[in-house]
Amino acid sequence: MSARAEPRLRRIAILGNPNAGKSTLFNALTGLRQKVANYPGVTVEKKTGSCELPGGVRAELIDLPGSYSLQPASPDEMVVRDVLLGLQDDTPPPDLIVFVVDATNLDRHLYLALQVIELGRPLILALNMMDAAAERGLSVDIAALERQLAVPVVGISAARGEGLDALRALMIRDVKPSSRHFRRWPAHLERVIDRLEQRLPHREDLPDRARRDLAVALLLDHGDDEALARHVAPETLADAHLLARRLDEFSPGWRSGDVAGRYDAISAIVEEVVNAPAGAHRDSRREAIDRVLTHRVWGPVIFVLLMGAVFQSVFAWAQPLMDGIDWGMQRVGQAVGGAMADGPLRSLLVDGVIAGVGTTLTFVPQIAILFLFLSILEDTGYMARAAFIMDRVMSRVGLSGRSFIPLLSSFACAIPGIMATRSIDSRRDRFATIMIAPFMSCSARLPVFALLIGAFVPNRWIGFITLPGLTLFAMYFLGIVAAIVVAWGLKRTVLKGGFPLYVMELPPYRVPAWRSVFITVRERSILFTRNAGTVILAITVVLWFLASYPKGSDAVRALETQRTAAAAVADTARVAQVDREIASASLEHSFAGRAGKFIEPAIAPLGFDWRIGIGLITSLAAREVMVSTMATVFNLESTDEDVQPLREILRETVDTRTGRLAYTPLTGLSLMVFYVLACQCMSTLAVVRRETNSWRWPIAMLLLMNAMAWGASFAVYQGGRLLGYAS
Amino acid sequence: MKRRAKQPDAGTLALDELTAGERAVIVSLDCPPAVTRRLMELGLIPGTEVELIRRAPLGDPIEIAVRGVHLSLRRSEARHIDVRAS
Repeated sequence: MSARAEPRLRRIAILGNPNAGKSTLFNALTGLRQKVANYPGVTVEKKTGSCELPGGVRAELIDLPGSYSLQPASPDEMVVRDVLLGLQDDTPPPDLIVFVVDATNLDRHLYLALQVIELGRPLILALNMMDAAAERGLSVDIAALERQLAVPVVGISAARGEGLDALRALMIRDVKPSSRHFRRWPAHLERVIDRLEQRLPHREDLPDRARRDLAVALLLDHGDDEALARHVAPETLADAHLLARRLDEFSPGWRSGDVAGRYDAISAIVEEVVNAPAGAHRDSRREAIDRVLTHRVWGPVIFVLLMGAVFQSVFAWAQPLMDGIDWGMQRVGQAVGGAMADGPLRSLLVDGVIAGVGTTLTFVPQIAILFLFLSILEDTGYMARAAFIMDRVMSRVGLSGRSFIPLLSSFACAIPGIMATRSIDSRRDRFATIMIAPFMSCSARLPVFALLIGAFVPNRWIGFITLPGLTLFAMYFLGIVAAIVVAWGLKRTVLKGGFPLYVMELPPYRVPAWRSVFITVRERSILFTRNAGTVILAITVVLWFLASYPKGSDAVRALETQRTAAAAVADTARVAQVDREIASASLEHSFAGRAGKFIEPAIAPLGFDWRIGIGLITSLAAREVMVSTMATVFNLESTDEDVQPLREILRETVDTRTGRLAYTPLTGLSLMVFYVLACQCMSTLAVVRRETNSWRWPIAMLLLMNAMAWGASFAVYQGGRLLGYAS
Repeated sequence: MKRRAKQPDAGTLALDELTAGERAVIVSLDCPPAVTRRLMELGLIPGTEVELIRRAPLGDPIEIAVRGVHLSLRRSEARHIDVRAS
């Protein structure tokens, strides 16, 4: 072991347009040695990984978000600009940039490339998808491109792993930054930018040329750019805004004054370096596939079938895995329980910790399966087509086609659905989608609906549908209506505005890179388990405590005496009966039981008594826990398998204070409406906290949804009573 | 669905008025400055040829091809891009 200090790791950023194959390259270079965190204060994910280069050199790779321009139109692009201009505090500018472009589409991909080359940082241009270019008969003169751009250029195919050794060899070289300039602002604007540039202080970590891009950013800022406001002297910022206002007046259209010039430069470069036979720009395979997949009739039909298959898979394939995890965790619980003496520690471990870990793990199959499909759909290019087909529908509520699949997934479970919102570019649309995802009736609500419908809705035919079927449909429909209302409201208030352009690239169809698909599935599963899992575990332990303490009321002690007596004469039936009564009395005596009674005045107007109150509280663990809680409360074996006896008890229970039935069909309806609208799932809150990187949104969700649930149930119950449906 | 007040020159029409498969040359963009800039950065520069590939099954958005890239654009935005049939 050498004693000298390790030199600082070389920091290399991978950058490029969306669909350039950037992430595939990142995955190919780093493999599983990846870390995912958040850039501070925003919801953009920061992906880093370590990479082995020739000669035993290690480098840290940063996968910067896909971007179209250094003038940002989304939080993702803002992060890219901030990192490159030294405005991102936790991520200093990289030592080297590997810029990935699609060789089949240099014309567009060179736009950002030229912007970044002008920054004057060491840069390697990686011409990706050389295989696809060759297939179409396109050839790129690499030497000529190197000459034109004055940067090293290497041809690769990230998906096939071709050319990566040459790229790695370049990555350890001391790459000299390019001295080329391609920008062509009109002369009067060049002068304005010069003036502004001179006022910016010199910085150690930035090439002097990058100050010019900072000056352009200042000039184009609309006053809402927080990173600029943090890093630039206020008087300089004010001057820039004043200059911009004057230009707005005298030189309309100046804000895009450099774009056409840059594209002229690109056209000249492409003309020289790309050799394309006539017709090579037409992708005939793409045209053939698109004619079917976005066909006026077949497009939507295929879309519905595909979505049905995805949805069914999440539902059906995940179930056996979830049951298996459930079974496994119960065995673990029994093994641990069997090895320990009865007592609070055993109860904490088995009913708190192991149950919490179990809850977290049961979500993983759904997440893994959904992301398997999503990343295949994304990589093949179908996702953009799905958004294209659904955009019109979703635009009605102020969202875009990108919101559809996350919402559909939420009918299985809101957790993977909310995680799937990452593919929505607009931050505001993404947050609105997250906020409405839990209104989609998830599979955990089904046992509750099944119990209440079984207990209170008579099995009659209404035309072509049974009354229970109609009720279930109405509940799903109510959730959708609530989601529409909330999305509409949010997009007109707190989530108003944002970049007012819905433009989306429809990329060419490609065979997915299976390695990347696998890495995505693994990464999403681990992220959920680690980040949301800790919150779920903590809340499970709290809920366990609330349902288990304090112990030993007089009633419980009297029952325990009876149990000892029954056990002495080996009356097993009696022992089991008393055990159920003990469980019920203990729950009633616990904090959760008291809380149920405590909230009774608040839920009485909805038709709920304290027993339902306890169920509402324990539902926080997962909605279906309501069923087993009610079974415990009514001295039944705590199971959600056979709810028949519970249905009867719900129908027949008499309120001892009034002498009338405690629950009527109206109560059942009110409770179902409550379960549709209320935010009762702590796992959802945990994942919202992870995906929005703040506690503000989950708390807002909890308050909003529960207020809506209370209001709607109140309207149903009190309205029903006014109409005479009280009993 | 109203056209903007400015009377279009003879021969120009809005991008969303093209029929599927029809090509045209971009004449001008009349959107808010930041939107105009972004559309131009995506290749929609006056003088560039653009083709309307298809409309989505529900009529909106539209798919266009410009500089070898296919973009999905809402009609509410395409309406503000003037083109001249080529």
